[in-house]
Amino acid sequence: MTVFHFFNCAILTFGPHAVYYSATPLSEYDTLWTSIRAAVVYLVTALVKLVCLATFLNVSDSDTFDPYQELLKALFGFIDVAGLYFALTQLTHRNISQNHKFQAVGLGWAFADSVLHRLAPLWVGARGLEFTWDYIFQGLEANANLVFSISLAALGSLMWLRKNKPKTLIPIIYACAGIVATMPSITSYLRRGLGWHLPKVVGFELFSSLLIAFISWQLFVACQRPSN
Amino acid sequence: MANCQRRLAPLDPIYYPLLTLLFILFTCVDLYDAVTVVDVYRLVQFDISSVPFGSRLATLNHHAASSLFGSDLSRSVIILPVRELDLDLIKEYIGQGKLLGGLLFLLPPHFSPEKVDAAVGIDEDFDLLRNKVSELERLLIHANIPYPVYFAFENDDINAVLAEVKRNDASGQPATATTGGYKLLVAASDPKKIASPTITNIQGWLPGLKLEGDSTQLPTIAIVASYDTFGAAPALSVGSDSNGSGVVALLEIARLFSILYSNPKTRGRYNLLFGLTSGGPYNYNGTQKWLRSFDQRLRESIDYAICLNSLGSLGNELHLHISKPPENKYIQQIFQGLSSVAEESGLQVGLKHKKINISSPRVAWEHEQFSRLRLTAATISELSTAPELLESTGSLTDNRHSVSEASVIQSVKVVAESVARHIYSQEGKGTNIFADNSSLAVNPSYVRSWLNLLSTTSRVAPFLSKNDPLIMALQKELADHTTEVSIQHETLDGTFTFYDSISGRLHVYQVVSVTFDLLLLLVLGSYLITLFSFLVITTRGLDDLISLFRRPPSRKVKAT
Repeated sequence: MTVFHFFNCAILTFGPHAVYYSATPLSEYDTLWTSIRAAVVYLVTALVKLVCLATFLNVSDSDTFDPYQELLKALFGFIDVAGLYFALTQLTHRNISQNHKFQAVGLGWAFADSVLHRLAPLWVGARGLEFTWDYIFQGLEANANLVFSISLAALGSLMWLRKNKPKTLIPIIYACAGIVATMPSITSYLRRGLGWHLPKVVGFELFSSLLIAFISWQLFVACQRPSN
Repeated sequence: MANCQRRLAPLDPIYYPLLTLLFILFTCVDLYDAVTVVDVYRLVQFDISSVPFGSRLATLNHHAASSLFGSDLSRSVIILPVRELDLDLIKEYIGQGKLLGGLLFLLPPHFSPEKVDAAVGIDEDFDLLRNKVSELERLLIHANIPYPVYFAFENDDINAVLAEVKRNDASGQPATATTGGYKLLVAASDPKKIASPTITNIQGWLPGLKLEGDSTQLPTIAIVASYDTFGAAPALSVGSDSNGSGVVALLEIARLFSILYSNPKTRGRYNLLFGLTSGGPYNYNGTQKWLRSFDQRLRESIDYAICLNSLGSLGNELHLHISKPPENKYIQQIFQGLSSVAEESGLQVGLKHKKINISSPRVAWEHEQFSRLRLTAATISELSTAPELLESTGSLTDNRHSVSEASVIQSVKVVAESVARHIYSQEGKGTNIFADNSSLAVNPSYVRSWLNLLSTTSRVAPFLSKNDPLIMALQKELADHTTEVSIQHETLDGTFTFYDSISGRLHVYQVVSVTFDLLLLLVLGSYLITLFSFLVITTRGLDDLISLFRRPPSRKVKAT
């Protein structure tokens, strides 16, 4: 019954994206096209990032955590932010509000990420005879990643699209965005530098994603208040 | 160039995460049981005159179980550690021909041919265990078992699996397709008959000194040992004692005489013929074919032949097995020569007479093939009685630990000395030709290294190719000590048929039950529904959620 297991893992990995789209007003405003374009931008960004990584990074044979290499990786992580900036500002959207725009972009972004990074291993691995918890954890990771992407998109829209925001909040917004953008490096450090196991890392990711989501939600609300 | 890059690049993003995932998998090995892979050795499968024996299947794909009392045994592989095996139970089970999915016997690690140097506590337990294994082996070889039977050696991985399976069994949840557990898989094709198995005899010739003008032919003394083996698991059948020890003794004797014969002054007036024969377990089929290939002159020149068999664990007794009546002049001569040398080193030689039954195909000793051609021959062995067919030919228990170097050295001395005294007519004169500490002393390190080599190589004739490294090595070694070496390839008699796939790799997978997947689906479904409700409530309000569920009936009302 391994196809069954594959099906389960696929639901866990890709289900939340679909649920998010259909449950929120995104579906009512027909923002699917925006999401798709964000996904395309993600693909291009991933390609650029990959080329950069391949050019500047040594292939390390050891599993150790190399601070210099990780720093480079974190720097390249900001290519993602650039891609997101492009998706949020340069893509001409139809008449949709900023609220829906960042959600649509974040959703498309996360979905493309999941398809790219998780579909192939899932297809290859989860159908095998051997049972491991890995693919279930991987699905949970995809959930955390969805929350991260939407949070980052929300923070991005605050940074680049909203003009009149409270001055005191600006550093907080930038700090949060910085943390979210370096999240892959942080988890990589936990996994390799501290030797955490997968369940612990995924637990941390889930927890921090909820925390970041809460903070960015509060920031968003706080920024909306003066305009009202 | 640029085109190429563009084509490759979109592929990369898919493989890159794959690699990282693999990396994650490796880092978490201690947390999750990854696939365990063990080397397994299949029970021999063969026919004697089209009557099937041994394990008749090779493919294994069933759940693991640990006892013969579970339910649904025809679809499970029973893992049985030989240490805890109940022989009567398994005897009864196989005797009644009950069906199993498969059997996997776990042998203690020191039965492994690879562990030549491992120190073994030779205690009573070990002897008991060896008896148990021999009895099991006899049972398995002579039974027709319609399911795959494999042997493996205990190691940490397989022990962990077994412990887990036992725990599952004890908790009353035997592993079947619906409850999960471990799945054992050996991917093998159906065993195929080995078409015309070859047996290879190796012969070395050391000519004696012929005086000028002497036209009569020199007499020949033949020293023969059969080198191939047969056992329950052909891949593990190394036969250190039967007949690795005989082969080592023969090589050492050849080495000693090559030193003597290299100098014309000490070259004897006898030719020496060394024969390493194959097909020993199958009524000395190779010996028979080897003798038939002799030309008349050589056959007539043979004075006598000494066959070496199982010399690795002598007590203080050697047995000289003969087929001619003990009163025979030549037999007496060999016996006197041997026993006088043996007495000097504190060994007793017993004379055992067993008549040949020409009408019976069974040939219990190698010398009987000589006797059938009316050549004087005797077998020297530690065994006091003739073994049955396919017994004492290299069983699972017959490994390096059952052979002592000293015993081989002692028998080499006895045989070489008695032959040398006969050649140089020194009988009863008390000269010690191969005295210790002389340049002609037996070389213990030579004996040890050959014993170790033979104890790690399985030598079941049908599975040895014509150019097998072992055959090449034996040929080269004989070529070093003798002047003429020839190899003879023959086909094994048609009564024996063998089947291939003698070893494989067992993959152990941890599998989950369908119930687990169903439960998981349930949990995931409720998670998604909760998420949906939560998102609807927070973004559109509770009323929207409720209206979602109310809408369908309202549509129906409109339709009617």
